[in-house]
Amino acid sequence: MSALLEIEDLRVTFRTRYGEVTALDSVSLQVNAGETLGIVGESGCGKSITALSVMGLIPSPPGKIAGGSIRLNGEELIGVSPARMRALRGSDVAMIFQEPMTSLNPVFTVGDQIAEAIMLHQKVSPDQAFRDAVALLDRVGIPSPDRRARDYPHQLSGGMRQRVMIAMAVSCRPKVLIADEPTTALDVTVQAQIFDLLNEIQRDFGAAIMLITHDMGAISEMADRVAVMYAGRVIETATADDVLDLPQHPYARGLIDCIPTLGRADHALKEIPGVVPPLHLLGKGCAFADRCAYKFDRCDAEKPLLTDHGRHPVACHGAEEGRI
Amino acid sequence: MSFSFLIRRLAYGLVLMLGVVVLNFLLIRLAPGDPAVVIAGEMGGATEEMLQSIRAEYGLDQPVLTQLWIYISNVAQGDLGQSYFFNQPVASLIGQRLGPTILLVLVAQLLSILLGVFLGVIAARKPNGPLSAFVSVFSTLGYAVPVFWTGIMLIILFASTFPIFPVEGMASVRLRDAAWYVRGLDVIHHLVLPAFTLAIIYLAQYARLSRASMMEVLGSDYIRTARAKGAGERSVLFRHALRNAALPILTVAGLQFGNLISGSLLVETVYNWPGMGRLAFDSILRRDYPTIMGGAVLCLCHGGGGQYPHRSELSAGRSAAAGPGMSGIRTTGPRRRGAAAAGQEGANPLCAPGGGAFTPGIFQARKRAG
Repeated sequence: MSALLEIEDLRVTFRTRYGEVTALDSVSLQVNAGETLGIVGESGCGKSITALSVMGLIPSPPGKIAGGSIRLNGEELIGVSPARMRALRGSDVAMIFQEPMTSLNPVFTVGDQIAEAIMLHQKVSPDQAFRDAVALLDRVGIPSPDRRARDYPHQLSGGMRQRVMIAMAVSCRPKVLIADEPTTALDVTVQAQIFDLLNEIQRDFGAAIMLITHDMGAISEMADRVAVMYAGRVIETATADDVLDLPQHPYARGLIDCIPTLGRADHALKEIPGVVPPLHLLGKGCAFADRCAYKFDRCDAEKPLLTDHGRHPVACHGAEEGRI
Repeated sequence: MSFSFLIRRLAYGLVLMLGVVVLNFLLIRLAPGDPAVVIAGEMGGATEEMLQSIRAEYGLDQPVLTQLWIYISNVAQGDLGQSYFFNQPVASLIGQRLGPTILLVLVAQLLSILLGVFLGVIAARKPNGPLSAFVSVFSTLGYAVPVFWTGIMLIILFASTFPIFPVEGMASVRLRDAAWYVRGLDVIHHLVLPAFTLAIIYLAQYARLSRASMMEVLGSDYIRTARAKGAGERSVLFRHALRNAALPILTVAGLQFGNLISGSLLVETVYNWPGMGRLAFDSILRRDYPTIMGGAVLCLCHGGGGQYPHRSELSAGRSAAAGPGMSGIRTTGPRRRGAAAAGQEGANPLCAPGGGAFTPGIFQARKRAG
């Protein structure tokens, strides 16, 4: 079965004052229908850029898709006409952003904003679109949706706004729903509600979800498969259980060790030493080498490729040679 | 705005008005020129005897303070006096001339906002593009060049090189008996150059302002959301972004209206447009004091007569009404800008507090003969 969304060898570069910087380097991902793919990694590792590439929303200039391919349902999205991209955006592939507080337009009512998304892709009357918007608000669990649809974003709480964003994103029943850290700005109880809602939506609408997060808890709750990203590359990809239980890459292990365990006060919380190197300073070796406890000569000399060494694909020389 | 606030504002307004009337009135005594000489000159001769009788008829022989008192008490009763030159009540004179000025100013305001905002929005799309550079240069030039010079240059251009627009007056004499719509079109035809001349300064400002405001808004998250929905570029620019960027533009538009009226004085003079500005200018030359003072009083009444904080507060209120969702989010931005614009207005000598456009104005009370 071919995947619903296939990203192959995607390369995205940004022009900066340090010259051209590669933000994404040979990123390959697949999302199947009805599946949730989690993408994890630290800030700046390229998660959001991957999502924006799929949406065709890379700010250009300075950004540029330098190579690779993105196929949605077999249709190539790179180099497609702007009109076609607009038609796909919001209807076939939709996105939920991480900042519900600022992602809604302050001068339109939330009902109008959802209705606009509907009218952009379906031939319905404004009245019908607004009624659909109210139904969607009801679906995402907003109380008295009739009244709330006439509210402006500033009258809603953060959690409510994120529900509105979700309603807007699913309004045209997209095949792929990209959720870019949908719960980062929300408090913990609301986070759980939003994840439940996303799960329900997926069940009802059959959408594939690409969940971008740095929260391993969210991954274990939501994702079927996981791709771990580091410095613009995918370094490990497997089912969620495999990555959580048997991480191969030292970085993935580090991420999982960072999860605090409830009820174990004696257990010192681990951390990954160092920070992600600036993208313009990446050498020819493994980008994680300087922070890695298992580093050996080869790590500085050549970039590891994402290959299967028995369990699941991982980009690590140490794993390849069985040192880890 | 509470009731006591309004009362206080009104009281300030009255005191200010009184001050301006008294000051303008007394300024005449310092300015050279004698209305009696002008009037006698119009009548064909100026013997000392005739001058005396004219002074007596117009009350110019009374002590200054008596004249002042008579004028103030007349104004308090709504009587602006009688024009020396036209020999008709100043109020009705102003009534005739106010229409053309309001027409000119409204059209210029509309033109400058529409064109300026359009240019600014287009420029904001590509902040480093050639159009953006053009808008920046054009704004600086448009603001720096005096409006009467622009007017004269346009007259030269359209009077000889491209004679497609009338360069003088408001209507063609030969169309006086034509159907109403022909006369209407004729007025519009006459309006093109004066309105454009007057609009240029403000157009440049609106272009600059909306460019800056749009650039700020275009970087925000909800613009990305609009694009993610699949909205087209035009909808993103004019629907999603402009409505948010409109707040500072609205604020300044409210403040600029007063400036436009004072700017119209020069434009009306250059194009011989029969409005208030032209009237005031001619009256100064003719030493027609009641008319000058009438103009000053009118200018004073307009929008609190240069009580600019008051007007910017009104504009801020209007902005809040225009963007209902904005009140909680961006009030500080537009307000701050509004205050800056108000300061700018104070610095413009043509619209100094107190309706300064007419400040050379002076007046002599007319003693009612028998």
